[in-house]
Amino acid sequence: MARVHNWQLGREMSYWYPESRPNKQFAAVFDTNKCIACQTCTLACKTTWTSGLGQEYMLWNNVETKPYGFYPLAWDLKLLEMLDGQKWSEQEYEGQKLHTYEGQTIFESAPAGERVLGWRPEDIDYAYPNVGEDDCAGQVDGGASFSLQHMAQHMAWFYYLARICNHCTYPACLASCPRGSIYKRPEDGIVLVDQGRCRGYQECVKGCPYKKVFYNAMTGTSEKCIACFPKIEQGIQPQCFENCIGKIRLAGFINTPDKAQADNPIDYLVHIRKVALPLFPQLGLEPNVYYIPPIHVPHSFTKQMFGPGVDDAVKTYRNAPNDPDLQGLLALFGSSEQMMTRWRRQGEFVSGMRDDGSEVVRVPIKEPVHVRQPYDRLYQITRTNCP
Amino acid sequence: MNNTIRFFIALALFSLTVSGCRSAVATTTEVVAVQSSTVPVAPTDAAWDEVPEHPARLLLQDLVEPRLMQASTAEVRVRAITNGSEVGFRLEWDDKSKNDLPGPARFLDACAVQVPVKLESNVPDPQMGGEGKTVEITYWRADWQASVDGRPDSLKEMYPNASVDGYPFEAQSLEKGSAAQQEMATRYAPARALGNRRTGLRETPVEDLIADGPGSLSPAPTANGAAGSKGKGVKSDKGWSVVITRKLPNGLTPGGRTQVAFAVWEGGHNETGSRKMRTGWVPLLMKPMKGAEAK
Repeated sequence: MARVHNWQLGREMSYWYPESRPNKQFAAVFDTNKCIACQTCTLACKTTWTSGLGQEYMLWNNVETKPYGFYPLAWDLKLLEMLDGQKWSEQEYEGQKLHTYEGQTIFESAPAGERVLGWRPEDIDYAYPNVGEDDCAGQVDGGASFSLQHMAQHMAWFYYLARICNHCTYPACLASCPRGSIYKRPEDGIVLVDQGRCRGYQECVKGCPYKKVFYNAMTGTSEKCIACFPKIEQGIQPQCFENCIGKIRLAGFINTPDKAQADNPIDYLVHIRKVALPLFPQLGLEPNVYYIPPIHVPHSFTKQMFGPGVDDAVKTYRNAPNDPDLQGLLALFGSSEQMMTRWRRQGEFVSGMRDDGSEVVRVPIKEPVHVRQPYDRLYQITRTNCP
Repeated sequence: MNNTIRFFIALALFSLTVSGCRSAVATTTEVVAVQSSTVPVAPTDAAWDEVPEHPARLLLQDLVEPRLMQASTAEVRVRAITNGSEVGFRLEWDDKSKNDLPGPARFLDACAVQVPVKLESNVPDPQMGGEGKTVEITYWRADWQASVDGRPDSLKEMYPNASVDGYPFEAQSLEKGSAAQQEMATRYAPARALGNRRTGLRETPVEDLIADGPGSLSPAPTANGAAGSKGKGVKSDKGWSVVITRKLPNGLTPGGRTQVAFAVWEGGHNETGSRKMRTGWVPLLMKPMKGAEAK
């Protein structure tokens, strides 16, 4: 194993291959607070990529309700149980909080004979994609919804977690493959299974902690989310981004923290404002889909899922109405199907731009409010609110 | 005759019977390919009863990650027949479960025969050779055998109650069997589009491969030099009996020697890829014809 730097852990770690970062790294920010689990993303992906024989059960994109939703069943709980002591330490440095992961990653805790710590779902584990949907944590007693006290404490909560392949910097699927059939593209960091080389050993299915590689029994190879690379190559966001009606997603490219650019929307949200966090960073893959954590969920749950920066992220997000830049950038989500790799705010408007600075779209930070009068003078008729 | 004497007579007769049976199975310390005019394809062909058997002990593949950490199949019993241009190996091993359906977390019974590509004293690493030390491998798999034996290429074979609304290639606008329909079918099956048919309908249950070390397995060149192997496997209650027939290893002639190695995958034990039971190199003798042997 080689020693590589994982900035999400704040330390070096062991990985199967030496550090080799791509020229650009595809990345995304998902705002969990805006997701309504309509599954339009899931269907957009399904109809585009996984409508074939053997792909029936595959959801390269899925949305699950946390805490009781999983696809496949208990994908995260099973691994977290296997991974001991997920402890983080905190230090202050020049007014910044620095977190270091003190536990072991799935690479470091690989059992003898294995490349990573993992488990392999059986077909029955994929049979309940909607399990736990809209089920909340805790008991909702009669009348609880009228209780201010309960509402304030959020005794009952759930939230939606939209998931795609994280196109990790240190992919466990890639490390698991004994014959190098999985590769990370140097031009954009997208992780792909070479369908001409794969022999269907399913080691990647076992190794990927996010369970985003799927075995196709009709082709005999494993398949996964390709980040819609034919669209990315044309400067267009993937299907699940373009079709998101909740406008929760923004696709782009991320730099390492030392090279963060304030006019790069992903860098701004992840590195500068630290409002978007990786999913289970303690596993050690440096995943590249970042989540704005749900603001109403108990800290103990979100800290395990998104890491130690979760409290500060929630605080920053809650303050967005008083934070024109952050509010502005969030307004850019879902405003265009094109990739916006740069951005700027000018007064009440925010612009999304291409690499060369040309403007893709300009949107108001606050939508203008129009009040319809109850009486229409032109047609001399009373308007109703009936649909 | 008292009961004690009767017992010993019975015991002596039983011992004779058993040893008589055993003497029919001559075991050898190496794989001896016996000359014959034909190499039988069927594992149950009586010709196999006439040739000696080499019981090859199987070892864990425990050198390359991911490894097999728990031993499964203990030995593979090998017999070999050659007709001077081809050599057939019959591999038999104990396996109570038949694993011939692919699927998520489902693995397949399989076996393989490996020979060095060159006849030289410095043999390649028995675990799939090494750089500049190529090995040729013929691989047989149980689901391919099921396909050759007539099992349809259908999702229903894996999930009999599956109900699918429709596939894009079944759209009414696409004429059945047309090029447009074929294009639509492979659009959602990139491995098939690339000719990498790991499952599905097959004409042969074996595949010819070459390797230059672990992780380097690739299809054997199809031009001159392709082994063009054949195979057939049958499952009994006891286990598998598989015949793999390939062309003679390069440069090997009657009376010559080379090395051969075997591997067995027990699908019910989640064995796949590098998780397998394998042998080291076993000497392979191409037994000369009776007349030639005397010289």
